[in-house]
Amino acid sequence: MVSKDQTLSVFHEAIKSSTADQTELVLDGETIGLTHIAESQIQQNLSTEDAVIIARTVTGKRIGVASTNRLDLDSVKKAISDSVDIGSFRESDEAFGSLPVAAGTESPSALIESTASFSSTDRANAIWQINKIADRSRLKTSGYFKTTLSRVAVVNSLGTEQYFEGAAGELSLTAANESGASGFAIGYDRDVSRINVGAIAESAVDKAVRTVDPVSLPSGAYTVLLEPPAVGQLLLFLSFMGFGSSTFVQNRSFMAGKLGEKIAGDNFSVYDDAYDPQMMGMPFDYEGVVRRRVELVTNGIAMGVVSNSQDAAAMGAESTGHAHVATKSFTPYPRNLVMAGGQAGIEEMIRSVERGLYITHFWYVNYLNPMKTMVTGTTRDGTFLIEGGKVTSAVVNLRMQQSILEAFSNIRMLSKQRVLYPQYSVVMLVPYALIDNFNLTEETS
Amino acid sequence: MNLDKLADIAVTEAKRLGASYADFRFEEIRSENVEVSDGQPGLIDRNLSAGLAVRVLADGAWGFAATNDLSEESSRKVATEAVQIARTSAKVNTAKVKLAPVKSSKGNHKTPFEVDPFSVSLTEKIDLLKSYDALMRRLPDINSSSCFMNFRRTIKRFVSSNGSDIAQELLHSGAGASCGVVKSRHERAERSFPTSSGQYMSKGYELLRELGFEDGLPRIAEQAVALVAANETTPGTLDIVLSGDQVSLQIHESIGHALELDRVFGSERNFSGTSFATPENLKTLKYGSSIINVVSDPSYAGGLATWGYDDEGVIARPVDLIREGLLVGYLSNRESSGRLGIDSSGAAIAEGWQNPPIVRMANLILQPGASTFDDLIAGIDDGIYMETPDSWSIDDKRESFKLGSEVGWEIKSGKLGAMVKAPRYSGSTVSFWNSCDAIGDKSLWRLWGTPNCGKGQPGQNARTAQGASPCRFRQVKVGS
Repeated sequence: MVSKDQTLSVFHEAIKSSTADQTELVLDGETIGLTHIAESQIQQNLSTEDAVIIARTVTGKRIGVASTNRLDLDSVKKAISDSVDIGSFRESDEAFGSLPVAAGTESPSALIESTASFSSTDRANAIWQINKIADRSRLKTSGYFKTTLSRVAVVNSLGTEQYFEGAAGELSLTAANESGASGFAIGYDRDVSRINVGAIAESAVDKAVRTVDPVSLPSGAYTVLLEPPAVGQLLLFLSFMGFGSSTFVQNRSFMAGKLGEKIAGDNFSVYDDAYDPQMMGMPFDYEGVVRRRVELVTNGIAMGVVSNSQDAAAMGAESTGHAHVATKSFTPYPRNLVMAGGQAGIEEMIRSVERGLYITHFWYVNYLNPMKTMVTGTTRDGTFLIEGGKVTSAVVNLRMQQSILEAFSNIRMLSKQRVLYPQYSVVMLVPYALIDNFNLTEETS
Repeated sequence: MNLDKLADIAVTEAKRLGASYADFRFEEIRSENVEVSDGQPGLIDRNLSAGLAVRVLADGAWGFAATNDLSEESSRKVATEAVQIARTSAKVNTAKVKLAPVKSSKGNHKTPFEVDPFSVSLTEKIDLLKSYDALMRRLPDINSSSCFMNFRRTIKRFVSSNGSDIAQELLHSGAGASCGVVKSRHERAERSFPTSSGQYMSKGYELLRELGFEDGLPRIAEQAVALVAANETTPGTLDIVLSGDQVSLQIHESIGHALELDRVFGSERNFSGTSFATPENLKTLKYGSSIINVVSDPSYAGGLATWGYDDEGVIARPVDLIREGLLVGYLSNRESSGRLGIDSSGAAIAEGWQNPPIVRMANLILQPGASTFDDLIAGIDDGIYMETPDSWSIDDKRESFKLGSEVGWEIKSGKLGAMVKAPRYSGSTVSFWNSCDAIGDKSLWRLWGTPNCGKGQPGQNARTAQGASPCRFRQVKVGS
């Protein structure tokens, strides 16, 4: 792995060669260790290392982008000259102001040693422990244990210089048997040693053991108790549909024209915060702009969206520090979503349900109508009936067909406990949620 | 960089350290993406990614390591790491990996093309996209439009300890366009051409002129304008006709993924799920009606999943998956086929050099039938014709699904009628394919590329293709 000093040295030297008015270089690198298990066997065990260098140049108002995964000086210079060349074929972007002049952050390193040094042997030992727990119930295990060491550098010709190193550990587990029993649990932490392997295994196994003789339920509106992964999946899709500046500016999201208006229930609040102590997210974006904490929805009222510098200019505001790498043209979106919890305990939430469903997570969530925040997807790996305040039996999986904003308008209770849940490069801190009138349909198989 | 040397170092070192099998894979991927949005050049990006990977079997378990450092020292280090990782895996595993045999191959494969897209100037590309954009913008009601072209050249080298040494150069080209009408927050519509994420094939720049943008773009612009005012579908159980690209998605989701043998054996249980199509169903399950014939064929020219050899060195060949409606085969790699005691179908593909190969879809070909488009429609008294995938979701066993299209037209007494907005349909895989009673003829058949199929842990994005013509299905649950 190329060091911080080497990276910055190459970047500064390469920028000197640029013929553009403004030049930006970004390094986006990862070292991944991952053990993938299936049917209790390690099926893939790997170590990979890569880094992409993205050159963005501005000549007049013509912007070019080129990228490479070669970090030697000549290759980086070539990426810059390719970018200038590409820019020359583009028309002037009159809406573009300037690359940001961003102050450097004194970001605390998130490269936690226990995660950085976690080896394939450590992962194997965890898998061995998991399998031992699953074996007691004659269940097979599937999933992965992964550590990611990330490094991002942003340097531009206007003096911006940012560097970040981070780490994260992630254990995703399904315990199952051939009779159809299946239970899921997941753990995520910047410090891999804080992932409670035994508890995650016990949770997945417990759900699988209880998934016997599932009953079929008719289509209808149910009270549902969603585990944090299920809440996170809804929150993530809501975020994709509306919490970014591009679709907001283009009047193509449910947030457009709604700031200051009530869009969800009083008890639904969410913000983006890379500085949350559990998140330890990257404190700047891919333009080097320092990330701000952004209130998205507060007590059900639409408050704001995250932006990059270009959208911010169009909005007459300052960037919130949420730009993607310049090779991506999609809207900025929050990367560190924090959803407010409540005061309830999990058992208390279950006890309060006369008749409803306990849902572990969803599968294949996809849009039906983004403006109405309508999505579909199926329940999976631990869906149970709650009757008279008790979990009574397993349930055949159902298909969700639901407006997310409507669901977040019908939250009856939120748990005090919140857990980190990662998906699609977004980390979310989410509670359990008890939601009324949640639309589920019987699967047709 | 001397690839012969890097490969030799990696394989020799892995064998020296006790690996029973080792393969070395180098890939260099050069790509270019050009976009025009609302008449103006948008994102233009050129990317280069190169790296090497070593995969080994040691003590009966897999180890894999990869790096973007292309030095000889790095090749040796990666081989050492892969063996160490494999030995660690072996300490946990209770079963040893058994591979189906493969003949060693020494060969080359190169995508044939007429015009190298990387030799065409950006000016020409941008001008062409602008002309496409203008075709959609002729109608004043169109207030958003975008089009793109995308090219990728992958140079591969595969060397294995069983004597294979394969060089490949794969060229993919893709292009697409979409336009939208926004009248108010909830009055909006979008149409795409040739299909929702564009059409991709193993071809050169000539693909652009073959796709028919000149005729297609004015048509989708007119449809987008009409679609804003169209009604939603009335829920019910109806006969439907699906366009070729919609059938392509249906094949992908409910045949392709369901017949990936690694998935059948549980490799995806924690992520994309398992499959109802377990081996005891082989040669007994009536997967579809007797007119359903599906072949996996990576040797079929021009498909986005066309290659000479897969990433385990297995030569491309056609394999029957469904014959006259009966399940007869699987998509497989050496490991999953070894477990079933059959030959690999040659479908082990990795995304880039960074990932180990897993079972992916080769070109999946639903053989054309004998019906004209008019025949398909004429056979329906009350139904809907649906075109262009818009939404899709399928359960984790690939048994039941809910899919949707951008646009539909009512069918009344054998004729197309009023346009309907974003129709959805749902069903169960086996019942649905058994309800297919007519397939469009060869003139309607096309190989559709899918550039973004996700699978695996770590997640890998594969490029697949499905060959399809429009099909008719009876008594399907339809709604919005």
